[in-house]
Parts: sequence; structure tokens; C-alpha cells
Amino acid sequence: MNCNEEVVELMHQYLDGDLASNDEEKLRSHLNSCEDCQQHFRELKQTVALVTANIDLQPSQDFTMKVMNGLPKETKRTTVKR
Amino acid sequence: MIEEKIVKSIKLVKKGDQSAFEEIVEHFQGKVFAICFRMVGNKHEAEDIAQEAFIRAYINIQSYDENRKFATWLYRIATNLAIDRMRKKKPDYYLDAEIQGGEGLTLYSQIPDDNRLPEDEVESLETQSYIQKEIMALPAKYRSIIALRFIDELSLKEISEILEIPVGTVKTRIHRGREALRKKLRNV
Repeated sequence: MNCNEEVVELMHQYLDGDLASNDEEKLRSHLNSCEDCQQHFRELKQTVALVTANIDLQPSQDFTMKVMNGLPKETKRTTVKR
Repeated sequence: MIEEKIVKSIKLVKKGDQSAFEEIVEHFQGKVFAICFRMVGNKHEAEDIAQEAFIRAYINIQSYDENRKFATWLYRIATNLAIDRMRKKKPDYYLDAEIQGGEGLTLYSQIPDDNRLPEDEVESLETQSYIQKEIMALPAKYRSIIALRFIDELSLKEISEILEIPVGTVKTRIHRGREALRKKLRNV
């Protein structure tokens, strides 16, 4: 197998949950015999973990309040008849 | 079940009960905000866009088809707003905007820090800002996909529906984006 393209493509398919089972076997046996690809695969998995990791990012406390205050006034109920 | 509660709230909002929208905002704000942040790389702007997205969702709630997933409908509104914003983007000078030639320094790091954080927290904040910086270095069309794929772990098909691009394109962009980030993040 050509390490540079075909195997890397299989790695990505694997990470996307998109890899056929016979290809999975192909990837597994190649990884067992090729250190460079093992390393590449580890790095990809680490990348996914880093980017996926629940980032400690929350909007400000008053986010919901700001949205609720920004909504148009309820039409039916609050219309004042003159 | 929280999902059932959300479905109920959506029905109530559709009937005109504005207060039921609060539950929806509470439930989705974290994800929507994080997706916007991954795309624009700035907290103030991300919050602004996320708020706008919720307001638009409320206004257009009648056009939401209840047979489809609410999250994908909402994310579509949010990502469209974020994409628009990225297109129009002029240089902005927010506190966490980068200083030119500052080698990753932000204005924050120039403000004396009196309440010191524990070391591991500093490290993870630094790691996070490094990761975000590398994501921002990617072309915009990759950022939206990375945001959707890695924040809510959406399927390729869902992403393709949200961004209205073919699944094949989604795949290619995820692969390229992941490779580009691998090269940057392997030493983290």
C-alpha cells in the first residue's frame, strides 16, 4: 500500500466512522507493520481529541436574558386596542 | 427526557408562548456559542452572532419543520450569520484580538493579572487559545465544518444539510482540515 495517500485516506474514513470492514482490516494490518503510519494515525487522533475536547467556553451569564429581551414583543396578546 | 421537553417547548413557542423560548435558549446556547466562536475566533462577536441566531430562530419558528432535527435548523441559522460576518469582516480591535507582530500576544496578556490561576488551568487556557489560533489560520470554509463536526459531532450528512454543500465536499474539507491541524497540533 502507498502510505502517503491510500492509508491516510483510510485513516480519515475511519475517523469519520465511514470505513468499510474489509478496509478496516487493511488499515489495521498496515498499521501493525508501519511505524510512520502509526505515528500519523496517533497524531490525527490526538488532533481530534484536542479539537473536540469540551472547550471551556460558555457565553456570558446573562446570555439568555439578553436574547429574551431582544425578542419582538408578543403580537397577539400585547396589542393594545385604541 | 430533556429532548421531549425541548420538543414541547418548540410547540409552545409556535403557538405564541414566548416564555417557552427561554428553555430552548438555555439548552442550546453553549453549542451555538461554541460553534460561532470556532468560526469567528472572538468571544464578543461569537456571542453577538449567537444571540442574533436565537432571535432569528424565534422570528422564523413557523418555518421550522418539526419532523427535522431542531439543532440542525438552528445551527444553519447560526452558521449562515457567522459566514456573513466573516465575509464582511473588517479589522476589529477587541480585547482578545491579536496585536500585529505580537507573536500571539493579546491585549489580555498585557493587562496585569492579579488573581492568578492554578498552573494547569493556565496551561489548558493556553492550549485552547493555541488550538483556536490554528483553527483561525484555516480558510473560512474549513472552519465552519470543523466547528460543526467537532463541537456537536454532527454526521457528515447533517453538516452537508446545514451548509448546503455535497457530502463529498464535507468529507474532503474535514480530511484536509484535520491534516492541516495535525501538523500544527502534534506537539501540543
